[in-house]
Amino acid sequence: MTVTALLLIGLVLALLALRQPVVVILGAATAFCYALISHGNVGWIVVDAWEAANRELLLSIPLYILAGNLMSRGAMAERLIRVSKALAAPVPAGLAIAAVISCALFAAVSGSGTVTLLAIGPVMYPALVQAGYPRAFAVGLLCAGGTLGIIIPPSIPLILYGVMTQTSVTELFLAGIGPGLLLIILLAGYSIARHWRLRGAGWDVAEIGAAIRSGAWSLFMPVLILGGIYSGYFTATESAGVAVVYAVLVETLVHRRLGIRDLHAVVIETVQLLGALFPVLMLALSLNVFLTYEQVPESLVAGLASAIDGPGTFLLFTNVLLLLVGCLVDIGSAILILAPLLKPLAVAQGIDPVHLGILMTVNLELGYLTPPMGLNLIVATIAFREDFWTICRAVLPFIALLLAGLIVVTYVPQLSLFLLARPG
Amino acid sequence: MRTAERLLKILSGLERLGAFLAFLVLIGVVFLDVASREVTGTGLHWAMQVGVYANLVVVLLGIGITSAAGAHLRPRFADGWLPRAWDGVLGRLQEGVTGLFFAAFAIVGALVVAETRELGERAPVLGNLVWPLQALIPAVSAAGAVRHLIYSAWPALRPRQPAASPANPEASGPS
Repeated sequence: MTVTALLLIGLVLALLALRQPVVVILGAATAFCYALISHGNVGWIVVDAWEAANRELLLSIPLYILAGNLMSRGAMAERLIRVSKALAAPVPAGLAIAAVISCALFAAVSGSGTVTLLAIGPVMYPALVQAGYPRAFAVGLLCAGGTLGIIIPPSIPLILYGVMTQTSVTELFLAGIGPGLLLIILLAGYSIARHWRLRGAGWDVAEIGAAIRSGAWSLFMPVLILGGIYSGYFTATESAGVAVVYAVLVETLVHRRLGIRDLHAVVIETVQLLGALFPVLMLALSLNVFLTYEQVPESLVAGLASAIDGPGTFLLFTNVLLLLVGCLVDIGSAILILAPLLKPLAVAQGIDPVHLGILMTVNLELGYLTPPMGLNLIVATIAFREDFWTICRAVLPFIALLLAGLIVVTYVPQLSLFLLARPG
Repeated sequence: MRTAERLLKILSGLERLGAFLAFLVLIGVVFLDVASREVTGTGLHWAMQVGVYANLVVVLLGIGITSAAGAHLRPRFADGWLPRAWDGVLGRLQEGVTGLFFAAFAIVGALVVAETRELGERAPVLGNLVWPLQALIPAVSAAGAVRHLIYSAWPALRPRQPAASPANPEASGPS
């Protein structure tokens, strides 16, 4: 068994050195497990992968990504920003707060951190600099604000966690609200503390009215998606489908920003993302079937029982592990591979699986801001035309803020669970 | 090389067309299901299964579209493990190994589909035979093998290996 395990590790390291994509590494590792460890039929990988993708819940992922891309390409994001700016103008650091609120509103539609940064960043960055905010602060704030996209529901990582651990996605979405609000408050509070004196004139009622009129269709989108899910009127999939149709109608008929060619381009762009995500998802679920069949999670729980002597130790271990993993691999792959292994450990320590899902997402959110793999850092270098290391330095205080948020989310489970009618 | 380039172009065109049409079906059936529930009081019992199949077509064809854009998820922390001077050879090797993986997956997939066909397996809701749709797995895997082996043979045809960019923001992950 030891030789086999060493061979498996060697295979993975060799494929990493040969710069293989995750899908190849995961596929080869799964095939290895089926062939050599359980002496089974490698064809089961195909059967399991097929069954994995043959699920209704997964339909929400392509539809949410498409809705976010449509809003980003169209005029909806701009109009959300206008409303936020008009409302936050006279507040200290009003424009910075408007940037955070815009990110949060957009996040309540897109489910993606990078799409949120790309939709809000290019509009808000020059506005913040022009209003007197230091460049480093503006870059850091927008990079951090963009990460709200993955914790504020609907969230693609939370859907992936729900699929991998058979946890209710609706409960996960509800649980994301508290931590999402906490992070918004932390970012807004830090902005006020740093730039108390930067504020606009008083409220301009005419501008507020005009902004709300022009942004009414955009403002209704989060209400439609989240209101539909939380009221029980729509499932997550139905809500995503309605969101796409709504976004297409608004952008083509009301805002008249997108034509047929644009729609085609947005769909193909979305398919490209799905072609990267879904094969990994399918193979990860296949590997998960193997691990479950071989009772690996149970063995892991038993093996670590002596080392982990309580929920506190487990939470510390999980956070350190995820912070390291988040620096190296993308959040989707990390959740797909680690969630099924961590869930039984968490349950054995009396931790709610919904809380674990939120904790994983908030923790891996930091991976967007940490070099060398921080996706929002890479995107920001191009979107804001700033040097990579300048951006890395700019996000440091915001990493500290998100870490503070992570500690609260980790050790105050009620923050995530208070809407679920069960105590943490 | 020109023939290979033309082949890749045709392949990409077919994948994009198929994925686009399947995505329209996916959006259509999910929305129709909700609309039908609102209008007639009952949803369409077949809608979600058709949506699932449409999604399968989208994501399976999407694998090729992602390959053509060089946008598969790839951990980059190990890129410096081997000397940079070997990049030329490594690029060919990288594509060759990916091509062989897809070729192996195509063969295994074909065997599974043959078995499903022999068993006459049918889907629970729609009652359709499963194998014709399942056959997409070996088909797209074979196409992936051809594509990556072409990239290995003619590296000039490889897509640029991007980090994430605004045009391709999710090259490292779609979340």
